[in-house]
Amino acid sequence: MKTAGAGNEVALKNLAAAVALDATATRASLRRLWRLKWGVAAAVVILMIVGSAVLAPWVATHDPLSVNIRNRLAPPAWMDGGTPRHLLGTDQVGRDLLSRVIYGGRISLAVGTSAVLISASIGVLMGLGAGYFGSRVDWTIMTLVNVMLTFPFVLLALAVIAVLGPSLMNMIIVLGVADWPLYTRVIRAETMALREREFILAGRALGMSHLRIMFRQIFPNLVSLIVVIATLQVARVIILESFLSFLGLGIQPPTPAWGNMLGEGRLYMLNSWWIAAFPGLAIFVTTLAINLMGNALRDWLDPHMKL
Amino acid sequence: MRRYLFRQLVQLAVVVVGISILAFAILHVLGDPVLLLLPQNAGKEEFERYRKLLGLDQPLYVQYWKFSSGALQGDFGKSWYADTPAFRLVLERMPPTIYLTLAGLLVALLIALPLGILAALKRHSFVDTLCTAVAVAGQAMPIFWLGIMLIIIFAVQFRALPASGYGTWKHFLMPAFTLGAFLAPITMRLVRSGVIEVMNMEYIKTARAKGVGERMVVAKHAFRNACIPVITVLGLQFGQLLGGAIVTETVFAWPGVATLTVESIRNQDFPVVQCAVVLLALIIVAVNFIVDMIVGFIDPRIRVGA
Amino acid sequence: MGRLASVALVALVILGGLLGPADAQTKDDTVVYAFQSDVQNWDPPNSVLRESIILGYHVFDHLAVRDLKTNRVVPHLATSWKALDDTTWELKLRRDARFHDGTKFTARDVKATFDRVLNPENKLTARGNHAKIKSIEVVDDYSVQFKTDGPYPLFVERLTAQVMQSEKVIKEKGHEWMQDNPVGTGPYKLLKWNKKQEHLLVRNDDYWGSKPSFKYVRIRIIPETATQIAELISGGVDVIKAVPPDQMDVINKSGQARTSTSPILRTAMLQLDQAARSGPNPFTDRRVRQVANLAVDVDAIIKFVLNGLGDRVATPVNPMAFGFDPGLKPYKQDLDRAKKLLAEAGYPNGIDVRFRTGLEIVEPGLKQTNEAIVADLAKVGIRTQQNYIGEVGPYVNQVKDGKAGPMFNWSWGYYSVFDADAILFDVLHCGEAYSYYCNKELDALTDAGRSTLDQKKRAEIYVKAQKILFEDAAYLFKWGLRGVWGISNRVNYEAPRDEIDRMFIVTPRKK
Repeated sequence: MKTAGAGNEVALKNLAAAVALDATATRASLRRLWRLKWGVAAAVVILMIVGSAVLAPWVATHDPLSVNIRNRLAPPAWMDGGTPRHLLGTDQVGRDLLSRVIYGGRISLAVGTSAVLISASIGVLMGLGAGYFGSRVDWTIMTLVNVMLTFPFVLLALAVIAVLGPSLMNMIIVLGVADWPLYTRVIRAETMALREREFILAGRALGMSHLRIMFRQIFPNLVSLIVVIATLQVARVIILESFLSFLGLGIQPPTPAWGNMLGEGRLYMLNSWWIAAFPGLAIFVTTLAINLMGNALRDWLDPHMKL
Repeated sequence: MRRYLFRQLVQLAVVVVGISILAFAILHVLGDPVLLLLPQNAGKEEFERYRKLLGLDQPLYVQYWKFSSGALQGDFGKSWYADTPAFRLVLERMPPTIYLTLAGLLVALLIALPLGILAALKRHSFVDTLCTAVAVAGQAMPIFWLGIMLIIIFAVQFRALPASGYGTWKHFLMPAFTLGAFLAPITMRLVRSGVIEVMNMEYIKTARAKGVGERMVVAKHAFRNACIPVITVLGLQFGQLLGGAIVTETVFAWPGVATLTVESIRNQDFPVVQCAVVLLALIIVAVNFIVDMIVGFIDPRIRVGA
Repeated sequence: MGRLASVALVALVILGGLLGPADAQTKDDTVVYAFQSDVQNWDPPNSVLRESIILGYHVFDHLAVRDLKTNRVVPHLATSWKALDDTTWELKLRRDARFHDGTKFTARDVKATFDRVLNPENKLTARGNHAKIKSIEVVDDYSVQFKTDGPYPLFVERLTAQVMQSEKVIKEKGHEWMQDNPVGTGPYKLLKWNKKQEHLLVRNDDYWGSKPSFKYVRIRIIPETATQIAELISGGVDVIKAVPPDQMDVINKSGQARTSTSPILRTAMLQLDQAARSGPNPFTDRRVRQVANLAVDVDAIIKFVLNGLGDRVATPVNPMAFGFDPGLKPYKQDLDRAKKLLAEAGYPNGIDVRFRTGLEIVEPGLKQTNEAIVADLAKVGIRTQQNYIGEVGPYVNQVKDGKAGPMFNWSWGYYSVFDADAILFDVLHCGEAYSYYCNKELDALTDAGRSTLDQKKRAEIYVKAQKILFEDAAYLFKWGLRGVWGISNRVNYEAPRDEIDRMFIVTPRKK
C-alpha cells in the first residue's frame, strides 16, 4: 500500500505540474492570440462571408436574377424611398442588391479558392521538383518561372481571355495557371534549404525513394508556408477577377459578380450610388480581411517566415 | 563584372525567347490563328491564303519561326480594325503608358519613402502601427474603385480636375495618384523592412558608437544601403506597376497601350493584342535587366553570389 | 538624397517633354462634342454609322438639307430642282461654293460623286440608298440632270443624304486616300484625326454659307457613358447624346448643364432571323416570333426604364415618317397565350437563343431595357444567352455579314429621311445587307411604294405593308426613340429632330 500511496502522490504532483504547464501554455497561446487580435477579427469576418456564400440560397432574401422594373433604382432601406424589403436597395432593373452581393460573394470565393488550388498544386509540385532535383530540372523550371513572372498577372489573364473568351471556367483556369510561379520560387528555396538537412540525408541513406522523401519528409515542413501564401493569393485573385469582370471580360451579366456589378453601377454613381458602392465595399472588406488573416496566420505559424 | 553581365545577358535572351514562345502559344495553340488574325468579314479565299501564308499545315516549330522572325522585324500583322500595322498602333500608344507608369512610380516613391523610413525609425510606435495599417488597407483597396471615386470627387464634385483624357499636367494628377497608391503600400513595407535590416547592421552600430549623430547615421549610411533592396524590388515590381497601369488606364480613358489592348480584345483584333502583350513583356524584361545591372554594379555581393 | 533628386528630375523632364504639344485653341473658341465610338473612315458613302453622317454634315455639303424649324427640305448646294417628267429631274447649283482645296464646286462633281456611289464595283454602303437613280448628266457647269429608274418619290428627300465630293479628288487621289482625307465644301475642315481618340475640325473661313461661331470643333471619343456625363458636368465636353433617361436628373441638377429631348426618327427593334441568314433557328416560324412579341411588356419598359421617353410602335415604321399608320395597335403582353403558342409551335420546353448586343451609341438605356426584355422572354420559356460586342464597327459588320442571328439589337435612323420607304427597304427587304426578314408580299409593296409619285396611293400601300409586318411579327417591335442630349450651359443648342448634330449652329451663351 505504501508504494501505491507514494505512486499516487507522484501522480498527483505530476498531474498538478502538467495542469500548471497546460495553464501557462494556454495562457501563452491566448496571449499570442490577443496580439494577433486583428487577424482573429478578420477570420471571424471571413467566416461570416464564407458562411453567407455557402448558405446563400437560405440567407439571401430574393432571387438575384429576378427582374422587376417597376421597382428599379430603389434606395437602401435607411434612405428616403427605401423599404426594409430591400435592405441595400435595388439595381437598375429592380433586382435586390443585398442578394446579388451575397451571390456575388459565392462567385468571388469560388473563383478565388479554385484558382488558388490549381496554382498552388502546380506551383508546389514544380517548386519541389526544382529544389530537390536541381541542375537541369531546376534550370528548366526556373526559366519558365522567370518568363511567366515577367508578364504582369493582369496582362497574361487578358491575353488568354482574349483568345478563350470570357466565362467562369476560363477565368478559373487562367487565374489558376497564371499564378503558379509565385509558389515555385518560394517552395524551391525552402526545399533547397531542407534538402541538406540530416533527416533527409538519413532518408536517402536508408534507401527511400525520391518521391517518398519529397512528400513524406520535405512537404510537411512546407505546409505552413504554402497555407500563408495561398491565403494571401486568394485576395489577389479575387481582386483580379473583379477587375476582369469590371472590364466585361470576366463573369458576364446577369450573373452577379462584384466586379461586373461595379462596372454596371458606374453609370449610377452620381444618383443611385448604392449599386456600385456595396459591391466595391464587399471587395474591399473581403480582401482586407483575407490579408489580415493571412498576415496573422504567418505570425502565428512562424514569425520568422520570410514573406 | 563582365562575367556577371554575360550571365545576365544569357538569361535575358532566354527569357525573351520564352516570352515569344508563350505569346505564340497563346494565339496559335489555344485558338485558331486564322480565325483570330483575320477580320471577320474576310472572304473564303482570304482565309485559304492566310492559312498557306501561316503554313498551318506545317509543324509548329516552323510556324513559330515564321512568327518570331516576323516579330523581330516589327511585323505583327495588320490590325484589321484600323488597317494599319499592329506594331505601329501599339508603338503610338506606348508613350502615354510609359509616362503614366513613371508618374505613378514617382508618386509611389514620394509616399512610400518618407513613410517607410519614418515607420522604421519609430519602430513599434503608434506611427509605425498607423503606417502599417494604412499599407494593409491600401493593398486591399481595388484601385479601379479608387479611381472612380477620385473622378467623382475631384472632377464632378469640385470640378478641379478633368474627368478623363490626356494632354495637360492636370490630366496626370488623378491617374498618377491612383497608380501610386496601388504601389505605395508594398513599397512602403519594403522600405521599412529594408531600413530596419540595415539599421541593425554592424557598421551602423559602429557609427553610432563612434558618436556620429543619429541623423547623419540615417542619412549617410542607412538610407544609401537601404536603397539597394528597394531598387531591386522596385525593378522587379515594374511588372506589377505595369499591371497597375493597365487598370488605371481603363478607368481614366487614358490613351495608352492598356486601353488599346482592352479595346482590341473587345474587337477581336488579335494582331494588336499579340503585339501589345509581346512589347510590354519585352519592356519589363529590359527594365529588369537594367535594374539587375545597376544593382550588380553597386553591390558586389550580388554579382558574386548565386 | 542625390539619387532620389536626380530620378525626380529625370521624371519631371520627361513629363515636361510630353506636355509640349499644347493645343493651339483655347476654351472659348472651341466647342467640344463626344462620340461613343469612332468612325472607321472619313468617306461618308462608305459607312452606315450615324457618326459618319454627322461628321459628313460638318465637312461636306449636301444638295439639299432639312430646315429644322419647318421640317421641310430646302435648297443647299442645289438652288432649285424641277421634275421634267416622271423619271427626270433637273437641278440648278450654287456658283460660289468651293472645295477646301480651292477648286470650284460644279455639276461635274455631282456626277462624279453619284457615279462613284452607284458603281456596284465600289461596294459603297450608300448604294442601296440611291439605287433608283439610273444616271446623271452634266447639262452645263451649274446644271445637272438625274434620270431615275421609274418614278422616284423620295428623290428630293434623299438629296439630304448624300455628301458632295470632289471629282478631282476622286479621280486623282483615289479611294484609299479618301478614307482618311475628306475634301468637302462644308463649314469646317478636318485638321487632325487621332484615330479612336479625337477629331479636330477648324472653321472654313471661305465658306459660302453662314459661318459657324466656334473656330474649332473637338470631337472626343469617350466610350463610357458615365465618363461622358462626368465630362459634361465638369466642363470637359459641351454636347453629349444618347443620355440614359435615369441620368437626366444628374445633369439637370448639376447647374452646369441641362438635358434636351426630342422625338427622333430612329426606331428600335430586336431583329429576329426569319430569313435564316445565320442558319436555321426557331424564329423562322411565325408563331415563335409572335410569342416573342407577346411575351414582353413593352409599355412597362418604356414607362419605368425609359421614364416615358419612347413612343410605342406596332411596326418599325416611325410615327414621324410618311406612311405611318396610327390605326394599327401594337401587341399587348399576354404571357399565357405566348406559352401556349410556343408549345403549339413544337417547343413545349422552351428554346435557347443567342442574343447579340452592343454599345448604346444611339439607343439610351439599351443595357437596362435589354435586361428587362430578357427577363420577360424567360417568363415564357425563351432563354437567352447574351453575346456582347463592345465596338460599333465590328457589331455592324457582323450584322452585314449575316452572322448576327438569331436575335440581335438593331435600330434604324432612316438616314434622316422621313419616309416609310427609308426603313422598309434597308431593314425589311429580302436580300438587303441589314435585313434578316424575307417576305415577297412585303417586297412587292415596298417596290410599288417607291415607284409611284401619288402620295395617296403610297399611303395606302404602306398601310397594307404595316399590316403584314404586324401580323407576321417580322421582328420584336420596340419603340420610336426619344433622343436625349446633354448640353453644357456654356452654349446654346437644342436636340435636333433629325438626329444630326450640327456644331456649326452652336453659339456661346452669354452669361
